[in-house]
Amino acid sequence: MKFWKYALIFATVTFFSALFYPLIAQNLEPSAITHPSPESWPTYHGDYSGRRHSPLTQITPENVPYLTLAWAFQTNQTAAIKSTPLLVDGILYFTVPDNIWAVDARSGHMLWHYNKPTDDGDHIGQRGVAMYKGWLYYLTPNCHLISLNAKDGSVRWDVTVADVKKGYWTTMAPLVIRNHVIIGVSGDFDNLAGYLRSIDPETGATQWQWDSTPPAGTPDSTTGGMTWMTGTYDPELNLLYWGTGNPTPVLSGKTRPGDNLYTCSIVALNPDTGKLAWGFSVSPHDTHDWDAVETPVLTDGDFHGQPRKMLMQASRNGYFFVLDRTNGKSLLTAPFGPVNWSLGVDKDGHPIPNPAKQPAPDGRLIAPDEGGLTNFRAPSFDPKTGLFIVDAHPSYSIYFSKPTDGSYGWSGADYGLWGKGVIEAIDYQTGKLRWTHEVGQGGSGAGVLTTDSGLTFTGDAHGSVLALDTNSGKTLWHAGMGAPMFSSPSTYELDRKQYLITSSGGVLFAWALPETGHKASNELF
Amino acid sequence: MIKRIQTIALLAVVLGLFTAFIDVGWCQATPAAQQHGNAVGAESYAKHCAICHGEQREGILPGFPPLLEVNRQLTPQQIENLIHTGKGRMPGFSKLSEEETTALIRFLATDELTAKAADGSTNVAEAGHHLFQRNCAFCHGRDAAGGETGPDLTRSKLVLSDANGAKVTDVVRNGRPDKKMPAFNFTNEEIHSIVVFIHRQATSSRPGGRRGVDVSDLQTGNAEAGKQYFNGVGGCAKCHSATGDLAGIASRFEGLQLEEEMLYPRNAKSKVTVRMATGQTMTGQLAYRDEFTIGLRDIDGVYHSWPVSRIRYTIDSPVDAHVELFSKYTDDDIHNLMAYLQTLR
Repeated sequence: MKFWKYALIFATVTFFSALFYPLIAQNLEPSAITHPSPESWPTYHGDYSGRRHSPLTQITPENVPYLTLAWAFQTNQTAAIKSTPLLVDGILYFTVPDNIWAVDARSGHMLWHYNKPTDDGDHIGQRGVAMYKGWLYYLTPNCHLISLNAKDGSVRWDVTVADVKKGYWTTMAPLVIRNHVIIGVSGDFDNLAGYLRSIDPETGATQWQWDSTPPAGTPDSTTGGMTWMTGTYDPELNLLYWGTGNPTPVLSGKTRPGDNLYTCSIVALNPDTGKLAWGFSVSPHDTHDWDAVETPVLTDGDFHGQPRKMLMQASRNGYFFVLDRTNGKSLLTAPFGPVNWSLGVDKDGHPIPNPAKQPAPDGRLIAPDEGGLTNFRAPSFDPKTGLFIVDAHPSYSIYFSKPTDGSYGWSGADYGLWGKGVIEAIDYQTGKLRWTHEVGQGGSGAGVLTTDSGLTFTGDAHGSVLALDTNSGKTLWHAGMGAPMFSSPSTYELDRKQYLITSSGGVLFAWALPETGHKASNELF
Repeated sequence: MIKRIQTIALLAVVLGLFTAFIDVGWCQATPAAQQHGNAVGAESYAKHCAICHGEQREGILPGFPPLLEVNRQLTPQQIENLIHTGKGRMPGFSKLSEEETTALIRFLATDELTAKAADGSTNVAEAGHHLFQRNCAFCHGRDAAGGETGPDLTRSKLVLSDANGAKVTDVVRNGRPDKKMPAFNFTNEEIHSIVVFIHRQATSSRPGGRRGVDVSDLQTGNAEAGKQYFNGVGGCAKCHSATGDLAGIASRFEGLQLEEEMLYPRNAKSKVTVRMATGQTMTGQLAYRDEFTIGLRDIDGVYHSWPVSRIRYTIDSPVDAHVELFSKYTDDDIHNLMAYLQTLR
């Protein structure tokens, strides 16, 4: 009799598990982004802090030499993967322009593929989707925000968020904060104002819009300040942090006197209202196309003996910034490579542009080059060592601009001369480099991931994925992937197995420790 | 014999299908073609001839002959007869009106460039325009006049000297890894359309959009000061000589290209000597180098590579001296050096 009683309970539990499981699966409550589980990677940066630092420790400096391929996924596309896949309930979601894939994170097999070519808009890249409950949010090259059902990729709604005919396009991975889908825009070839917009996740309706600059045509004013990289968020302060792009006209500053706020800036906004709390100009009056859109990384800790809520950015203009993120005041500004365009740093931590280094008819030698000392590739902050690790690009170029180039769009020309890739570990308290690791001529497009076990994952200029010792920068493991990375690595754990995700060209790779044969760590297997 | 009849029948069917297709497809070309002088002739060509003889009259070899400069081989009367009665597998077009036939013959007598402008290539350029926007515009600019990191193609010597697109095709297909240009998979027609688009951009005027560097922009330096820098603090004379390797440099390069070569010669070669565990050494041109592998080409052009953990190597890379100068130059130094190098003709 007892047997039947247990059998009944077992059957009931099994039945209801089976019934409820599909309801649980492919669902992301916004609160789960605030404290992401190790079995997820729920936003572009993995969490709201933008640190790209994982608490996972199964892969260690000791066993990482045994890291091996778990699976590879072929998109069969020419476009390089630039997105960081989301991982929710065992499924990876990632993109290239006009395409989204849902892939089983355990096996790498495809569940569905959204494939809708668009003619208009720049197809330079697509950085990934965002998720809210069971819905995905994806920006098209021609400036549509599309909400799709995560289960099958079917489209729920499609709204236009910018005018592609005016010269906007969209590439970024939206950021979900509660019931706000925050999106940004791109567009450098026209004198257009950048903006951030908050969209209702259920309806697609606009909740608010914050403009980086006054409207185009405002006298003595700038345009620009595009918002093409995903920002970060502090739930306690309820502040959204975002980097803004360069002013336009790009290489000529004559028609836009002054600092050109808020282009090349870090801004803090209330995500419920879009109201500006503070803004910090990273490149006042930029004339070199140095978007300040690189990740505003958030961390709490000691700064010169005082507890601080900090925001750090290694910026494209060559300077590393530490700000107090409660008020936007500077704590540190220091170059992290060759920089020759400034007259130093003012008392508030802003670099002072040297007028003699503005683009000129006969050319100016400028460091770094237009691609900058770093760029879209994400850095990582390792709290244990206090190291801010960034894929840097020491470089030189020549910049030209003459009156006949006009004051619309580019308004000049620039030519890279030389550059190389260097992974740099910056001590956030001093801005000094604790170690450097060269990754090749030309430079690397790979972002950085650190883990609690003391590992740094990134890629070199030639197509190898690298595992470095976070303390020393020494290589512990590498594998050739066939083409350079243009994305930032991520990691997650499923079934007590830690995976590292990297991409190369149009192929997504999952790496893990071998199932058998090697005893990696005590808690394993 | 039966096989031959089948082939002819098949060809007839295919031609019939194509003709029907073209009838629809080229209606849209009409408005654009009308902007040009001989719209009737161009339209007639597109409608009846282009499917076999090519949109640009380039022919589809080996089956269909090109018609460019056909007027050098045949008289207008011969051409007219051919059009009306056909020849071999070319069908006769007996129902063409006299007016259309005359226009078509006149069109066939136009030179290549005129043909490109008139025969509907506005649409080819538009197709190229779309492809360009999607794939090329971010680096080379929406107007092909340069953008993020990519050069101005409307001023590119390679593009301008490449009427049929062969050189561009080579670059597009293979990329330029040294300059970070990726390789693309396009069909010949797609690349052709992009070339047509770029050529159109090069000849159309766009207020405010034009950008680039002219030779005249780079004439602000002082040649005497440049010579002093060359022989003095610049240290250029340690490796280079105005009468040796740089003799006539200004005849080989000019303007921006000369300045880029001066600041960092991208194609400079390095020498590597590898010492193997056996004690044996090999020297050659450095062909590959990353953190894990070193590769060289020996004197016979044969490639060899080693894991760097198994060997020792030394690299002689004279071009590094150019990198060291970057942090030392003033802009005046560069302009003066340019002025001096431009005297070496």
